[in-house]
Amino acid sequence: MENDMVVNNPLRALGLDEKAGDGAQPTMGLVMARAGLGKTAILVQFALDCMLLGNKVLHVSIGEGIDKTRTWYDDILALLTAGERMDDIPGAMQNRMIMTFKESSFSKALLEERLDDLVQQNIYRPECLIIDGYDFEKNTKESLEEFRNFMHERGLKMIWFSAVSHRGDDRKSVDGVPAPCHEVDSLFETVLLISPEEDAMKLNIVKCDTCSIDPGSTLMLDPSTMLIRKG
Amino acid sequence: MNKDLSKVRNIGISAHIDSGKTTLTERILFYTKRIHAIHEVRGKDGVGAKMDSMELEKERGITIQSAATYCNWKGNDINIIDTPGHVDFTVEVERALRVLDGAVLVLCSVGGVQSQSITVNRQMTRYNVPRLAFINKCDRTGANPAKVTQQLRDKLDLNAHMMQMPIGLENDLAGMVDLVTMKAIYFDGEAGDIIREEEIPAALLEEATEKREALLEEISMFSDELMEALLEGGDIDNGLVYDAVRKGTLALEFTPVFMGSAYKNKGVQLLLDAVNQYLPCPTDVTNMALDLSNDEKEFEVSNNPDDPLIMLAFKLEDGRYGQLTYIRTYQGRLAKGDTVYNSRTGKKVKIGRLCRMHSNEMEEIESCGSGDIVALFGIDCASGDTFTSEGISCSMTSMHVPAPVISLAVIPADNKAQVNMSKALNRFTKEDPTFKTFVDHETGETIISGMGELHLEVYIERMKREYNALVEVGAPQVAYRETISQRADFNYTHKKQTGGSGQFGRVAGYLEPIEEGDYEFVDNIVGGVIPREFISSCDKGFQKSLEKGSLCGSPITGVRCVINDGAYHAVDSSDVAFQLAAIGAFKEGYLKAKPIIMEPIMKVAVEGPSEFQGAIMGSINQRRGMIIGSTEEGSYSVIEAEVPLSEMFGYSTTLRSLTQGKAEFTMEFATFKAVPKGVSEELVKAYQDERKKG
Repeated sequence: MENDMVVNNPLRALGLDEKAGDGAQPTMGLVMARAGLGKTAILVQFALDCMLLGNKVLHVSIGEGIDKTRTWYDDILALLTAGERMDDIPGAMQNRMIMTFKESSFSKALLEERLDDLVQQNIYRPECLIIDGYDFEKNTKESLEEFRNFMHERGLKMIWFSAVSHRGDDRKSVDGVPAPCHEVDSLFETVLLISPEEDAMKLNIVKCDTCSIDPGSTLMLDPSTMLIRKG
Repeated sequence: MNKDLSKVRNIGISAHIDSGKTTLTERILFYTKRIHAIHEVRGKDGVGAKMDSMELEKERGITIQSAATYCNWKGNDINIIDTPGHVDFTVEVERALRVLDGAVLVLCSVGGVQSQSITVNRQMTRYNVPRLAFINKCDRTGANPAKVTQQLRDKLDLNAHMMQMPIGLENDLAGMVDLVTMKAIYFDGEAGDIIREEEIPAALLEEATEKREALLEEISMFSDELMEALLEGGDIDNGLVYDAVRKGTLALEFTPVFMGSAYKNKGVQLLLDAVNQYLPCPTDVTNMALDLSNDEKEFEVSNNPDDPLIMLAFKLEDGRYGQLTYIRTYQGRLAKGDTVYNSRTGKKVKIGRLCRMHSNEMEEIESCGSGDIVALFGIDCASGDTFTSEGISCSMTSMHVPAPVISLAVIPADNKAQVNMSKALNRFTKEDPTFKTFVDHETGETIISGMGELHLEVYIERMKREYNALVEVGAPQVAYRETISQRADFNYTHKKQTGGSGQFGRVAGYLEPIEEGDYEFVDNIVGGVIPREFISSCDKGFQKSLEKGSLCGSPITGVRCVINDGAYHAVDSSDVAFQLAAIGAFKEGYLKAKPIIMEPIMKVAVEGPSEFQGAIMGSINQRRGMIIGSTEEGSYSVIEAEVPLSEMFGYSTTLRSLTQGKAEFTMEFATFKAVPKGVSEELVKAYQDERKKG
C-alpha cells in the first residue's frame, strides 16, 4: 500500500521526496490554482507522502474546520488505497496534527506560539508544515520571509503553501509565477500551478529549483480524483 | 387524529444542560393549554416541571429521560420529545432525533454555544434534522443574543440569523422586534399570555431596519421571487420571507434564531409560531426503510396513511401504567385492535390501547396516522424494533447505538434487594440499549455497564428509588476487551476416566483474528471425526471461553474459531466432554495467538480560552491522549483528541484547576485500541493479584 501511494504521489513524481529525508536542505513550496481547482487535494497528497516517509506533519488550515480537513485525508487516502482510512494505518495518525484558524486570527506569531507549546511539552515535533488558505494578498513579503526563517530555526524539512490565483489578473513574475505570488516567488524553491485542460488537470511546474523535473514540464492529474495519472 | 400531515410537527428540544429547555417546554404546554399552571423546575411549590416526571429529574433539576408530549398550536399538532442535556445520555438525544422531523436548539444567552451544544448539533446534522435556535434566558445578567448568534455561525458552522431583536436585555427585557413583520411584540399579563403588538420604538427602528435588510439579503438566495422583489424595490410581501426562510431551514442551509426568556414568559409564543412556520411536517422529510425481502435495499417510506403500516418503536418505558412503547408511524394507519408484525421477531402483535402521552399522564385515542408519535400498551418488543402490516417485510434504518465503555459491580444488600434489583435491571436494559448487565461467573457479582459515570449513577439511584433495591456499588471499571493478534493452531484432547462413565473428546483447528464482529464459529469437520451432535457443543465451549480472557479477565472479542479435525469415543463422548475439549482447545490456542488487551478510546473535545491551549494540550498528552487537532477562533480554542477512557477519570477536576474553571470538555466513545505494553503488564499483574487473593 505504501509503495502505491509513494509511486503515485506528485511529491515523488517531482523528485522532491528526498527533501523529506534527513539531512536535506529545507524547502518552501507553493501550489497555486484558481478557487476550487484542487489545491488542498495536492497538499494533502504531499502531506500523506511525508507522513508515510516517517515524518510528522502539521497541517494548518486557515478558514476550514478540523472535520473537513480530516475528510480530505480520508478521501485522498481511500483513493490511493483500497478504501483505507487514516485510522486503519498503524502509526499514521501519530504523524499528523491539524490546526485550524479563522482567517482573521491567523498569524505567524500565533502559529509559532502554538508550535512552541507542542514542542516544549514534547507533545508533537512537526517536520513538515502544510499551510492551506494563507492569504497572499493581505500578507507582506516580510511575513513570508519570517516563515522561511522560522522553517530554518525550527528544523522543519519543508513548508507547503497554497495560494489562490485569479482569472482576470495577468501579472506574472519573470519565472512565470502568477499573482498574487509574483513578487514573492524568490522565497519558494518550488511553485506548481494547477490548470484545467479538457478532461484532465495539468500540474505545471512553474518553478522548481531542486526538482528532478525541469521547470515548464507538466504532470497530469485525474480531474475526478486529483491524483497523478499513471504513465 | 389529524389527517392533514402538513399540520403535524414532530419536534425535539435539545440543548446544553441548564439552558432552560425544560422550563421552555413547560411554557409551551402552558400556552398551548395542555397544562393550566406553571411549575418551575426547581420551584418552591414542589410540583416540578411537567416534563421531568421522574423523581430524580425533579430533584436534580435535569431531564434524564425524554418524555413525549403532544400539544396543538394554532391548528397544528405538535409532538414534542424533551431530550436530556447531559452527554452521558446522548443515546436518548439520538433516539429522539431519529424519529423527529425538526428540532429547536435551545441556548443560554449568557453561556452561548457550549461543548454539549456542539455534540447535540453534530447529532442533528448526522440525522439531517432542520433546526431553529432559541436563545433563552435573555433576562439574565450578561445576556447577549447577538454574540450567541455569532457563535452559532462560528462554532457550529450554521448559517444562523436573528429573526428578532430584543427590546431591552437582562432586567430590562421587555419584548422583541419581529424583523419580518417589523412590529414590536410585548408579553403582558402575569403569565405573559397576552400578546401586544406595537410600533417599533423609535430608538430601535434604524437598527431593526438594518437587521431586516441583512436578513432579507441572506435569505433571498433561497427564493428567486424574493430576490426579484428585492431587486425591484418597494414593499416585500411577508409571505415571500416566510417561504424563503422555510426553504433554507428545510434544506439545512439556514438557521433562524429566536430569543426570549421562558422563565419570564417572553418569546415562547413566537417560537411556537416559528415551529409551525419553518419546521418541516412529516411529508417534508425523506425517511428511508430497509426492504428485508430484497437484501435490505433502501426505499423511501411514503407517509401515505392509505399505504401499509410501517412504524418504529423508539422508546420503551415501564411506568405506572405498565409497559409503554413509544412509536413513530412513517406510513399507514394504526387503530385499536389492529394486528401488526414485529419485523425482527416475526411475531404478531395485537394493539390493545393506544395513547398520546403528556409527560406521565395519558390520553387514550382510537387511532393514529402516518407521522404521528404515540404510545402503545402491553407490546413486547425492544427499542428500535419496526412494526408493519401483514405482507411487508421491512425495517427502519437501524439506530446508532454506541458500545458501553464503563462498568461497575452492584451488590444487593439483602434478598429482597436482589429480587428488586433483577426487576429493575430487566426494565432498564429493555429501555436503554446502551445500558447492559451481566453476572460475573467467577465473583458472582452483577456488573452493569454504560456510557459514563453519570449514566450508571442515575440507574443506581433509580434502582433505589423506584424499586427499593438497596445496592452497594463498586468502583467504576473501564470495559477492557481482549482479542488475539495472530492465527494459532490448537489440538486438544479432553480425557477423564476416574470411575463411572468417562469423558472423551478431541478438538483440533485454529483461532484467527477477525476485524468485524465479536465471534465466528466455522465448522470444517469432514468425515464425521466429530459427530454432528457434538459440533454445537464445541461452539458452546468456545463461547464460554470468550466470557473471560486470561490476561485481565475481560471478555474476548474479534475471534474466529475454526475446527477441522477431532476424535470421539462411542461411549465416553458427550456434550459436556466436547464443551470441555473446546474450552481446553481455546485455552491452548489463545496464548499462542498473542492475545492483547483493548481499551475504549474516547473522542474528547476540550473547549476553553486560547491562553490555556498549551496547558490543555499538555494535560491531554499526559493522559496518553493523541491530539487530532485544534481549532482557534479568536479568544477561544477547541482541542480534539482521542484519549483512553481509563485516563479520563477525574479529568474535570484537573481541567478546572488548569484553566481557572474556564474550560470544559465532552467525550464520546470512539473506538477500541490495543493498550500499550506497560499498561497491559500492569493490568495483567493486577488481575493475577486479584485472583490470588480471591
